[in-house]
Amino acid sequence: MKAKRSSKLFLIISLMFVMVITACSNNNGGNNAPAAPATNAPSNNTPANNNGTNAAAPEELTLPITEETTQLDMWLLGDPMFRGASYNEKPSFATMQERTNIEINWVMGSGANGPEAFNLLMASGQIPDMVLYTAMITEGPKYGQQGAFAPLTDYINQYAPNFKRILDENPDVRRLITSADGEIYHFPNLNLDEYLMVQMFPQIRQDWLEKLSLEEPKTTEDWYNVLKAFKEQDPNGNGQSDEIPFVSVNLQTMFKIFGPAFGTDWEFYLDNGQVKFGPIEPEYKEAIGYLNKLYSEQLIDPNYLVDTEFKFLTEKVTNDRAGAWIGWAGSYMRSFTDLMADHPSFEIVGTEPPAGPNGDQRFAFHAWPVTNLGIAISAQSDNIVEAVKWLDFQYSEEGIMLNNFGVEGVSYEVVDGYPTFNDAVFNNPDGLSATESLLAYTIGGGQWATVQDPRYAEQYDIEAAIEAKNKVSPFVDYDVSLPPFTFSTEQNDIITPILADIRTYRDEFANAMVMGNRPVDDFDSFVEQIKGMGIDRVLEVYQEAYDNYMSVE
Amino acid sequence: MSTNVADKKNPGKALPISKRSNRRMMFREIVKNRSLYIMLIPVILYFVLFQYKPMYGAIIAFKDFNPFVGVWDSKWVGFKHFEQFFESYYFWRILRNTILISLYQLIFAFPAAIILALLLNEVRSMVFKKVVQSISYLPHFISLVVVCGMIIDFLQPDGIINRMLLSVGLIEQPINFLIQSQWFRTIFVGSGIWQGVGWSSIIFLAALAGINPSLYEAAVVDGAGRWKQMWHITLPGLMPTIVILLIINIGNFMVVGFDKIILLYNPSTYETADVIGSFVFRRGIVEANYSFTAAVGLFNSVINFALLIIVNQIARKKAEASLW
Repeated sequence: MKAKRSSKLFLIISLMFVMVITACSNNNGGNNAPAAPATNAPSNNTPANNNGTNAAAPEELTLPITEETTQLDMWLLGDPMFRGASYNEKPSFATMQERTNIEINWVMGSGANGPEAFNLLMASGQIPDMVLYTAMITEGPKYGQQGAFAPLTDYINQYAPNFKRILDENPDVRRLITSADGEIYHFPNLNLDEYLMVQMFPQIRQDWLEKLSLEEPKTTEDWYNVLKAFKEQDPNGNGQSDEIPFVSVNLQTMFKIFGPAFGTDWEFYLDNGQVKFGPIEPEYKEAIGYLNKLYSEQLIDPNYLVDTEFKFLTEKVTNDRAGAWIGWAGSYMRSFTDLMADHPSFEIVGTEPPAGPNGDQRFAFHAWPVTNLGIAISAQSDNIVEAVKWLDFQYSEEGIMLNNFGVEGVSYEVVDGYPTFNDAVFNNPDGLSATESLLAYTIGGGQWATVQDPRYAEQYDIEAAIEAKNKVSPFVDYDVSLPPFTFSTEQNDIITPILADIRTYRDEFANAMVMGNRPVDDFDSFVEQIKGMGIDRVLEVYQEAYDNYMSVE
Repeated sequence: MSTNVADKKNPGKALPISKRSNRRMMFREIVKNRSLYIMLIPVILYFVLFQYKPMYGAIIAFKDFNPFVGVWDSKWVGFKHFEQFFESYYFWRILRNTILISLYQLIFAFPAAIILALLLNEVRSMVFKKVVQSISYLPHFISLVVVCGMIIDFLQPDGIINRMLLSVGLIEQPINFLIQSQWFRTIFVGSGIWQGVGWSSIIFLAALAGINPSLYEAAVVDGAGRWKQMWHITLPGLMPTIVILLIINIGNFMVVGFDKIILLYNPSTYETADVIGSFVFRRGIVEANYSFTAAVGLFNSVINFALLIIVNQIARKKAEASLW
């Protein structure tokens, strides 16, 4: 009797399951059905089709953009250094809201795991009106072709006079943001001044060089000798051989500096218009061999694979143990100098990229006129035109000033026609660093879809950094570096799985050879393996995409 | 939906005569125990919403999933992603690493909790017992990120473990544990024991408390020492719990906590550290390759499911304790 009852019970419960499950899946169908046409609609229905105007000059941007206050959502990764409650507190955005009558609702992703947060947002399929992301240059075209972001070419032609002017004047910019299907899917952060092209560069302790009567290293041989001296001659004078001559947080960064000296690169580069993959070329072996020599003599941080965070590097520098590293002008050079203000002699100098045994000398850590960061507009948005106009405002003279310097009279004054930050930024009464205090006034020209103004960096960089950037910039060679072009969905389908395995293999093998766990002479088997994994197919696709990129007018 | 109900009803219709009375009895039963059934609702909802409903999403393993056209409208591609996984250069390596790490956990970590519980059971001083228990639970409550930070700190070339080994004279040069692949599994499983042994022993301690004290009294009368008591009373008393937990553990055999792996590994330890979970993480979340990772996940679940059934069958036959 009891058994019977429980079997009935079981039946009832399973019936409940079935009912709820069918109810749920019905709901699903209901949700999906309207979503599909909605995402397709905007792409078939671009403004050009509506109005028939295509090549005509865009109407000038008139402010305010809308009569009634329009609200737009903007997703972005929160900046942990910003101390306020909302970005609308920043005077720059408050002024923009007054001028354009568009109010932004900020939707903050967690900044700690950028790619995860962004990918999860995209996987949800629910995209806010605008998305700001640090890798939009690749993700914009990728998701744009999948239908997530609105294609913007026609909107730009019609509603974005300021941005269109920049595209017309800088064919490079247009080429760099045009995706493989010929569309534009995002408004990028732009970097049109040569001064801003130099990013991370080698930095070395000038006071250590002086103490040991050494010259600033210029070749790979010089670097070896200098690092050797740092290791052996106790430049920090504490009686122990605790110096770490060259600190890095990964192999890739080191390779980007030393690889080009041997005529190679960490991954892809150009050789007379032909795309090549560094790791399968013989020059790679030489570069790895050189790094292996440094590592085996303990001239490179032996813990570089474990201490992969910036804080470890900072710790080694501020403990007076690090001799040289690769870093930015601001977050490294300036802040290390600030942190070590009490040190009797601490001084950093930036060096030019090392010249190799065959005289190769090239600087690979440079920016492109279009940086990786940008803002895309959701294809589902009801306010694409307003969003385009609002983003176009960011490229107007007024928008550029607001984004780079904040509001005149609040965070900067114009002195002889030059926007000069005032004491609120550079001598902050609360003792904040210039980077932190500026965040209270604007988002910053480098973190936004706008044009970076070099006059910001000129004021922010310390003397030594300005010198270093000028020293390094002649070695930038745009004919060798691979521009950040993008791929079509089909091309991505081919290369993504192959490259994922190849990259894992390369990371493992390159590190093992540098650290001496595998002999450098195994290089040939390493190359063979990468070829076996299908690098030739990848190179074909890259070449195709590069040729396509070069053909954009 | 009405057809569904009818279908489900039919098999239960075998005895039409007793149907009505049965149904009335069940109804009465439900009314009588209504508070119990109401309490059951959240649990059922949880399983439906968070366990069964997402299963529908598993079909993206057979599609090229594009979030902007939805699960249903994405293109069917058959077994493309499974083939890609089986043909991947790393397939055998991540499979081997997953199996080995799981196996080591089963061999070392699982008995460790039993042994700790048995040892604690023999301790006479309650104060000492409580102190040991509290200390051994503690690591369980520390966030995994912090635990891994501690592991990394301890294992640095100038960390506490190397210093201890150096001062005892076991090694002459500090070992850089974290960049040598031969150490990875030891570190992973060893630190796992440290983290979890106290916590996992609780359930065994609870089972020990359930053993009838009169059994021990009888054994003492028969002249059994402590060792014999443990062997003939404590262990058999624990056996059902051990078997059930073993089955549950084996049901998760192919799941190695990838979060701890990715916090501890680096390219020089991929060789022994890269498991299915971390591979899925890199491909799925970081490279946004959802269909491929769904296929890998499904493959994993199927193996787990098969293992669970096999072990359960064996246990039912041999140990007379089983999940169902």
